[in-house]
Amino acid sequence: MNTIASQFTQSASSRLQSEYADAQRDFSNAPQLNLAPTIELPPISQPTEFLRAHTDDASNPDCKIKIAHGTTTLAFRFQGGIVVAVDSRATAGNWIASQTVNKVIRINPFLLGTMAGGAADCQYWETWLGTQCRLHELREKERISVAAASKILGNLVYQYKGMGLSMGTMVCGYTKKEGPAIYYVDSDGTRMKGDLFCVGSGQTFAYGVLDSEYKWDLSVEEALYLGKRSILAATHRDAYSGGSINLYHVTENGWIYHGNHNVGDIFYDIKEKEQSFNNVDA
Amino acid sequence: MDIILGVRLQDCTLVATSKAATRGISVLKANDDKTRILNTHNLLAYTGEAGDTVQFAEYIQANIQLYLMRENDTELSPKATALFVRNQLATSLRSRKPYQVNVLIGGYDTKTDVPALSWIDYLGTHVELPYAAHGYAAFYCSSLFDRHYRKDMDLEAGLDLLRMCVKELEMRMPIDFKGVYVKVVGKDGVRAIEL
Amino acid sequence: MSDPSSINGGCAVAMVGKDCIAIACDLRLGNQSLSLANNFEKVFPFGDKTFLGLTGLASDVLTLKEDFRLKHNLYKLREEREIEPETLANLVSSSLYERRFGPYFVGPIVAGLHSKTNKPFICGFDLIGCIDFAKDFIVSGTASDQLYGMCESLYEPDLEPEDLFETISQALLNAVDRDALSGWGAVVYIVTKDKVVKRVLRTRQD
Repeated sequence: MNTIASQFTQSASSRLQSEYADAQRDFSNAPQLNLAPTIELPPISQPTEFLRAHTDDASNPDCKIKIAHGTTTLAFRFQGGIVVAVDSRATAGNWIASQTVNKVIRINPFLLGTMAGGAADCQYWETWLGTQCRLHELREKERISVAAASKILGNLVYQYKGMGLSMGTMVCGYTKKEGPAIYYVDSDGTRMKGDLFCVGSGQTFAYGVLDSEYKWDLSVEEALYLGKRSILAATHRDAYSGGSINLYHVTENGWIYHGNHNVGDIFYDIKEKEQSFNNVDA
Repeated sequence: MDIILGVRLQDCTLVATSKAATRGISVLKANDDKTRILNTHNLLAYTGEAGDTVQFAEYIQANIQLYLMRENDTELSPKATALFVRNQLATSLRSRKPYQVNVLIGGYDTKTDVPALSWIDYLGTHVELPYAAHGYAAFYCSSLFDRHYRKDMDLEAGLDLLRMCVKELEMRMPIDFKGVYVKVVGKDGVRAIEL
Repeated sequence: MSDPSSINGGCAVAMVGKDCIAIACDLRLGNQSLSLANNFEKVFPFGDKTFLGLTGLASDVLTLKEDFRLKHNLYKLREEREIEPETLANLVSSSLYERRFGPYFVGPIVAGLHSKTNKPFICGFDLIGCIDFAKDFIVSGTASDQLYGMCESLYEPDLEPEDLFETISQALLNAVDRDALSGWGAVVYIVTKDKVVKRVLRTRQD
């Protein structure tokens, strides 16, 4: 009996092992990816379900692996180009994992990508997008358009649809052909062009302030302030947004960084100057 | 999700409620009033589980009226009214079938001449706030209020603020809520007003 | 996510010093991610030198605050004296255990000085009334893990009132800065034998 059992288990596990080895060989032998890292799948029947069961807060509140979430990011077009503003908090459940996350990825001197959702997903794939854009530049002897860059990212995340990627991003940039352009790309595979987007758990709060004061004819100074102020509103009301604000301005000469503004430092100054936030005692 | 908003102004409290009564994918009614007058200087605005809302509001209304009759026309203050409502919801929470109703109470204290606004949810959480909203509306309007609310606002400034909120909600909310009814609770009691 | 004790957020902490105690809390009241109010105090006085901190589900915090106010008033009428911190602790414990099979979702802490001897007393409870007596500090609320870390490293015995204020304030402030559901202002009480000082702390507003 034991010999029969051991024979049976032996053959089954070796079949599985060889299948796994085959799969690995197939992946690693892909010609163009010799040096690039490959994404491994766990050797189980339903990797996506496994991942969801252990990481998705919404479907299983008791899940042990908390992926960093929670953000407010915004970008809008106006007369003087594009303003991009983001917060810098990363949370894992109610734990504030970091107050100093960089949620704007500088793809190249003319392209910016914002991060919301899974921190690792955004960081990895937008860095990857940077290499793809550079390859395009080398091949075509021309900078990639914002439309094309965002489409590369959009197509990539669409390939992984249903496998648990979580990202909401804005690809912002300037090219001669397009002028200033913003594309919203998320992990559902949505990709759309627009003038004004807010993304993340604090998006509604940012929209509230932004919509009430937004005009196309904003001066550069006004636009930068509005971007900063909208993120500030979101950090104030949304528990999962906060830390500091990173500000960018995109023009025909590429993006310009307008500094890191700690919410703890600027909140009371802005309250005093605007006579706003009347729910907070001075 | 229904919209209810409240703002406390210098000498009165504003309460705005959406006109649409929605069940499933249909709008059943475009002139639904989601408020009940409790007594001369207290107004209850409600949102939540269909059925529970009106039952609860009218139960509260009846009890506040009963108090008025028993106590020889002594009106319950906004604070007392809010604490009574909170107590009912907190008690109901641990019953077999809790009321799933969230409310705002706009009031005016005639003794101290101070307007009041209370935010109470179905759990029995109660806070007094200068401006408040329930449901998804809170996610859009809180930041707007933070930005534009001033402590010394008069009625016209308050209405302007509500107009801003409604405009934002019309722009960003995925359903048509058919506009809002606005009620003012002030020295002379409750009156409706066009936005 | 729908854990009743972390819907509204908030935390409290108490510490023992040399012939004094301190008790402090944050001021946030939220509804999950949405912050609603920044004036929600979670520490309540019972007599001159005794304090009760209540964190957890805000509805139950309000209910229990009123319940203990009633019981405290009845106690004063019957005994014609103030309640001692130890007595309040036992009252809290037995009141919570009355709801053993349908508990209030709270994390109470008690801190005070004995009315005659001025001996410091602090203790904490679980939600059904198990008393946790401590000689040094007690923490409670959504930032309790963070508070444990801060208190374990900052606390030292026999601090004078001013130093105790500094210690408890730093512990609270730095703890809530690592908790998404706490913060939005803070209140600290320093209790010595002849004086109670209440201070409101200015904090980050995110």
